[in-house]
Amino acid sequence: MTTITLFVLLFLFLLTGMPIAIGLGLSSVTTILFFSNDSIASIALKLLEALSEHYTLLAIPFFILSSAFLSTGGVAKRIIDFAINCVGWIRGGLAMASVLACMIFAAVSGSSPATVAAIGSIVIAGMIKSGYPEKMAAGVICNSGTLGILIPPSIPMLVYAAATEESAARLFMAGFLPGCVMGLMLMLVIYVVARVIKLPAQPWVGFKAFIRTTATASWGLMLIVIVLGSIYGGIASPTEAAAVSAVYAFLIAIFVYRDMGPLKGVPWRTSKDESIASIVMRNLGQTIMAVPRSINHPDTRRVFRDASKVAIMLLFIIANAMLFAHVLTTERIPHQIAELIMGWGLPPWGFLIVVNILLLIAGNFMEPSAIILIMAPILFPIALKLGIDPIHLGIIMVVNMEIGMITPPVGLNLYVTAGITGHDILWVVKAAFPWLSILLVFLVIITYVPQISLFLPEFIDHLKGY
Amino acid sequence: MFSRIINSLEEGIIAILLASMTLLVFVEVTARFGFNTGVMWAQELTLHLSCWMVMFGASYGIKIGSHIGVDALVRILKPKTRRIVTGIAVIAGLAYCTLIGMGAWVYLEKVYSIGIELEDMAIPKWVAHSILLIGMILIAWRLLVLLWEIITGKADGFKMIDEAKESMRLAEETKKIMAAQEGDSA
Repeated sequence: MTTITLFVLLFLFLLTGMPIAIGLGLSSVTTILFFSNDSIASIALKLLEALSEHYTLLAIPFFILSSAFLSTGGVAKRIIDFAINCVGWIRGGLAMASVLACMIFAAVSGSSPATVAAIGSIVIAGMIKSGYPEKMAAGVICNSGTLGILIPPSIPMLVYAAATEESAARLFMAGFLPGCVMGLMLMLVIYVVARVIKLPAQPWVGFKAFIRTTATASWGLMLIVIVLGSIYGGIASPTEAAAVSAVYAFLIAIFVYRDMGPLKGVPWRTSKDESIASIVMRNLGQTIMAVPRSINHPDTRRVFRDASKVAIMLLFIIANAMLFAHVLTTERIPHQIAELIMGWGLPPWGFLIVVNILLLIAGNFMEPSAIILIMAPILFPIALKLGIDPIHLGIIMVVNMEIGMITPPVGLNLYVTAGITGHDILWVVKAAFPWLSILLVFLVIITYVPQISLFLPEFIDHLKGY
Repeated sequence: MFSRIINSLEEGIIAILLASMTLLVFVEVTARFGFNTGVMWAQELTLHLSCWMVMFGASYGIKIGSHIGVDALVRILKPKTRRIVTGIAVIAGLAYCTLIGMGAWVYLEKVYSIGIELEDMAIPKWVAHSILLIGMILIAWRLLVLLWEIITGKADGFKMIDEAKESMRLAEETKKIMAAQEGDSA
């Protein structure tokens, strides 16, 4: 009865179009008031605790801030140049390079639609110019943009960690290898397709140009190295790594790349014959002069506004979802569902099929973080009973959410791809479909080969001597 | 004019909270690795700053429409039905604010009468936690404004962020960069 009330209320509230956060909170509060003896003050306290006692969750605003600084067209351009020089000389190299660029930009920016917009608007046009079919270009970008939530640092993983009290650091380790496998799978298929329909390769740019683009891109790449290095090495928690990356991103965006802020458009080297001493002195002076102006610069303010908007929205949903999870656990709902499912005698692989189907359907209608928050508390105890590793379950959930981003009606990547190519949604869905099937194969592999997800965290545990 | 001042005030407060959280954790990490000392109260302060940012910002989010919801159904409704459904949703939202707000009031009253402080900082707990009540009042206020706009026909639904549209700004930006580059080489 309680279960039905809770879910029916939530469903009704969400249908009215109210913010998900309020829908989650209100359905939990009403259910508590009707069916339990908890006082209203204890509910308020629960909400407050959800907001002020989870240190891991602070990584979310910090990562969002750091990605807001680096989600610029300039950074996308540098990463694409680097990726093209890396793999462009292979047959079908431009498409492979866009996959690689998506992987890197997604790891830096953490947002799937932003990746599709930034990388896509550059490479899709480039691919068409080099003789690629437009459908293939759009489909590849639309799919590889989803890697953003699988390759760490990833917001949905932090959300899963908060919902299940698993280690966010271990999830970050677990997501890395699957992300690379997915990227390689896409590239492999591209290579085969390129052989079959005879797509061109880019000329090798030469070693000097390669070094130059690598050096330029390395400022952005360093962000991933810093974050993952410090987390994998056990030096810093995800929250601390995120704060460091936010400060680093601010410095890079404003003082090194100069994509925004007071130094925007000021070149490092004004003319070919400027002497090194003069370059050093002039830039040093300009940088020092720019420091005070950068703090209240309109660009900095815009980044903070964009980042805080997203962070507040997510954290407010999470706080209310924790209230929801609290109702679930006090009413022993996951436990009851677990027993019901155990009663069916479902083997672990059967359970995983059910999980995947459920998540794929849910992924069509809601935002990844919201789905994880609602589903994780229910699936988690069942998975534990069936002997499925919680980290593995987390990765399965995230891969499902990836697929949700490219399936209608709410697949955000589809809309962005439609926006940049100028075609309608139906065309994009058709273009993305063959590549979506690769993602589905990948989902099956991830689901039934837990070693791909668990290898890295276990290997790092082994290194540390556990 | 007046609403512009309020707007930039709200944005300013939120930005300062976010910036100080980030810097606090950054300084704490640097202190630990660089100088081998820690800041005892840093974690508690950061958590509370974040709590203030979220509860203060949630109402701002309703105003500018940064919250996400499922609008698949309301989008296909006729404008009039849509206004009625949204009206009901807003009233339900007000119920949420009232319930949590009442709970917060009872809780704050208790903490105030006991007079305890936070664990690591000498700040009365009721002061640090008062944001829950303040936040709920602010959200309720925004919802009332929205309700009025719906009744008078100025609005017909919650403002919702469209992430796909937001990302398009980035696409425009990259296109500009590409165009500028082609201009250079030509």
